[in-house]
Amino acid sequence: MKWAIPVAVLSVAGLVPVWLYSPGAAHEGEINEAAAPPAQEQQQVVPQTTAPQTTAPKATGAAPKTIGAAPKTTTPQQQAQNRTVPGPAVNTSEGTVQVQVTLQGTKIVDVKALRAPNSNPTRMALPLLRESALKAQSADIDTVSGATATSDGYKQSLQAALDGAK
Amino acid sequence: MAVRRVEQIMGLPISVDLRDGDAALAERAFAWLREADARFSPFKPDSEVSRLDRGELTREELTPDLVEVLSLCDWYEQSTGGAFTARVPGRGLDPCAVVKGWAVQRTADMLRAGGATSFCVNAGGDVVTAGEPEPGKPWRVGVRHPDVADQLSVVLGVRDGAVATSALYERGQHILDGRTGQPVSGLLSVTVFSDDLAIADTTATAAFALGRDGIEWAAAQEECEVFIVDEDRRVYSSPGLPVHIC
Repeated sequence: MKWAIPVAVLSVAGLVPVWLYSPGAAHEGEINEAAAPPAQEQQQVVPQTTAPQTTAPKATGAAPKTIGAAPKTTTPQQQAQNRTVPGPAVNTSEGTVQVQVTLQGTKIVDVKALRAPNSNPTRMALPLLRESALKAQSADIDTVSGATATSDGYKQSLQAALDGAK
Repeated sequence: MAVRRVEQIMGLPISVDLRDGDAALAERAFAWLREADARFSPFKPDSEVSRLDRGELTREELTPDLVEVLSLCDWYEQSTGGAFTARVPGRGLDPCAVVKGWAVQRTADMLRAGGATSFCVNAGGDVVTAGEPEPGKPWRVGVRHPDVADQLSVVLGVRDGAVATSALYERGQHILDGRTGQPVSGLLSVTVFSDDLAIADTTATAAFALGRDGIEWAAAQEECEVFIVDEDRRVYSSPGLPVHIC
């Protein structure tokens, strides 16, 4: 599956323009690394972008360690199976952009910015989502999310069974 | 002492599962939910919402609670370009989409203030939890599968948090796009995890009203993690979603 890496890197290269797209006053809010707000505060909000910012200056050789440092990203199980591949640093009019792809087999499961221009629109444009196929499962649970809004629906629902279980 | 009770309020089955604290807290919780229904239901002619809608109250005369609810409605309406709205053209003021999550979140705040540390409140599939049901274990919140009622599409492990799901499976196409007044399409189910049920619930409803555009919109909302199923049965989930490995 050697083609997976180039394919992933190309896919990611395709993301760069999207990511740089900044409607309205993009430049207005631009701040440089040194002036960026403390990473701690930002991490709770957009973990994908802030973690790399703290490591950005030396990120080219990106050891997998830097990923582990990000909160709320991958579970230990995933880390065991996943491979991370840093992409090339690309100079753009907005600044240098470099992304890192995490692959599970040949599938992209995460994309992170190692370096990104620091404007607000850039931060907002990076809500990276994982895509997968819908699966059905049953499991021991305490409660159910999903509208059981009508009384008929409720009677037949898993939640009713749980409520009756006492 | 543990209490588990279900009551139908606001047209919803609301379950309170209280694992500790005073049993009277559950009664207070249901009393508050009945009060919220009486004050904010657009279906009750005497409610504050109905009176505002008929022009019997001015914005200055509203209670701070309703002002808070309406501000949330306005914020999400602006953020979604009108796809989410409490004022669908040709219909009366209907802030129900915000009231439910807001009122249930306040229920949780009341339980906590009353000394409860471990509970789960589920209002028609929107959930707020506190603490742990057993030491060392999170509340396991199953997200209903959009096609198979007795199956789950994912299980979340939640301690102090909120999970809301907007979906089509039960009441038919009950979410309208406020921009067109037409039922929305594109998504089957939107689940949002957040610290606060008012935010989780409204974000889920608003994302649903946006159709496919709601996927990115919801994922970009601060302090929200999403699990979204589109009509092609593809799943989009945030890396930070607290998936519980069963």
